[in-house]
Amino acid sequence: MNNSGAIHDKFRELVEAYALGSLDPEDRAAVAAHLASGCDECINALRESQWLVSQLAYLGPETGPSDMLRGRLLKTVREEAAAAKPQSLAVSPPAIPLWMWGAVAAVLLFAFYNAYEARSLQDKLRQMRGDLSAQIRLQEKSTQELELAKREALILIDPRSVKIEMPAGNKEFPALQATWHQELGIVVAGQKLPVPNGNRTLQLWLIPKTPGAKPVPSLTLRPDANGKFDLLVADPPDAMTATKALAITEEPDGGSPQPTSTPIWVGPIAGK
Amino acid sequence: MVFLAVFTPRESSQVSPDATLVHRFLQRDVSAFEELYDRHSRIVYALVLRILQQASTAEEVVQDIFLQLWRNAAQYDGSRGPFVPWLLTLARNRALDQLRLKSERQRRREDQTEELPPVTTVPDFEGSLDEKRRAMRVRELMASLNPQQKRAIELAYFEGLSHSEIANALEEPLGTVKSWIRNGLLRLRDGLRATS
Repeated sequence: MNNSGAIHDKFRELVEAYALGSLDPEDRAAVAAHLASGCDECINALRESQWLVSQLAYLGPETGPSDMLRGRLLKTVREEAAAAKPQSLAVSPPAIPLWMWGAVAAVLLFAFYNAYEARSLQDKLRQMRGDLSAQIRLQEKSTQELELAKREALILIDPRSVKIEMPAGNKEFPALQATWHQELGIVVAGQKLPVPNGNRTLQLWLIPKTPGAKPVPSLTLRPDANGKFDLLVADPPDAMTATKALAITEEPDGGSPQPTSTPIWVGPIAGK
Repeated sequence: MVFLAVFTPRESSQVSPDATLVHRFLQRDVSAFEELYDRHSRIVYALVLRILQQASTAEEVVQDIFLQLWRNAAQYDGSRGPFVPWLLTLARNRALDQLRLKSERQRRREDQTEELPPVTTVPDFEGSLDEKRRAMRVRELMASLNPQQKRAIELAYFEGLSHSEIANALEEPLGTVKSWIRNGLLRLRDGLRATS
């Protein structure tokens, strides 16, 4: 047997005691180093010896633990197993503290309130804008009406304006009064006029001096319920000097390019 | 290897009765743990009581052992060896640790006993003996030893004494004690092999 074989045999004889744990420190350290070197035979022998040593447990007294120990131990194990189940279930839906739900609810409530408030404010703002637009339109209309009224007043009072009497062909109808200002336009006014039937209206025509020329259509106006008629033509379609008379016919709503009925009122422009 | 060769291979395909149970236990099955306790708590308790010589302390240690088993089930690797020898090694180490709390011998062996028990390789006849027969056979074999030889092994196993301490306790030469222990273990091994 060579030297390494002798050393191996020495360690092999100590393996059982090593498994038993009875080696003194120096021998134990030497065997541990030999096993760590990877000696397969001694490693296998050690595993078998460890099993062999475990069999010595059967030398103990023939007795067992109390039933109380069993009950105490199993109670602990069951409680730990039961506690582990909800814990594992709680993994998928992470536990959210109650206060966090409350905070989320408060934030949502606040968000809803803010959205409601914002919408209310937007509605109010939209309404205010609408009101403001209406006011502006009303103001513009009033301004426009005022301008027209001023313009109409100037036409009526300006000495340069030409008064044109427009008697009705029907003696039962009241006459109209037209006033033409070369720069400011024509005003035609009358009271208690008969209201045209249906959707028909009254239309002003300028009758040219030129022989054979067709009547020049102007604005239309339907008298109000009281028969009041007040028409302002701020921009007449032809000059007074080129016009020999004014006429008013009854036409369909919206007017006509050519007269479709006999003039009810006619006023010649004299002396110009 | 000679040692393995002498064991008959007839039980090699036999499944340990604990195998299925341990598998269920490793899946944290409480009923499997309960059954394992009922099967093996007696031998574990007997071993711990023999080491500690005090029933109340033994029960506390047994409780700790099985709770450690439950809480750290993954420490046992079933593919590397049978369950019972592993459990008995764990129990012995815990009991000796407890014993050394009151002993100066604690420092000498703490590096051996703080670690988990190694997985053992078991001869093929391991599964063929039931608990009672095994206990009876081990006692018979140990009873057949020289009383001093038997005492030396018991001092080593149940009290954790070293060869030198045993030699002092028995007032015998160190070499004699070493021989007694090794030869006694080999006779025990041969006797268990013959039983199978």
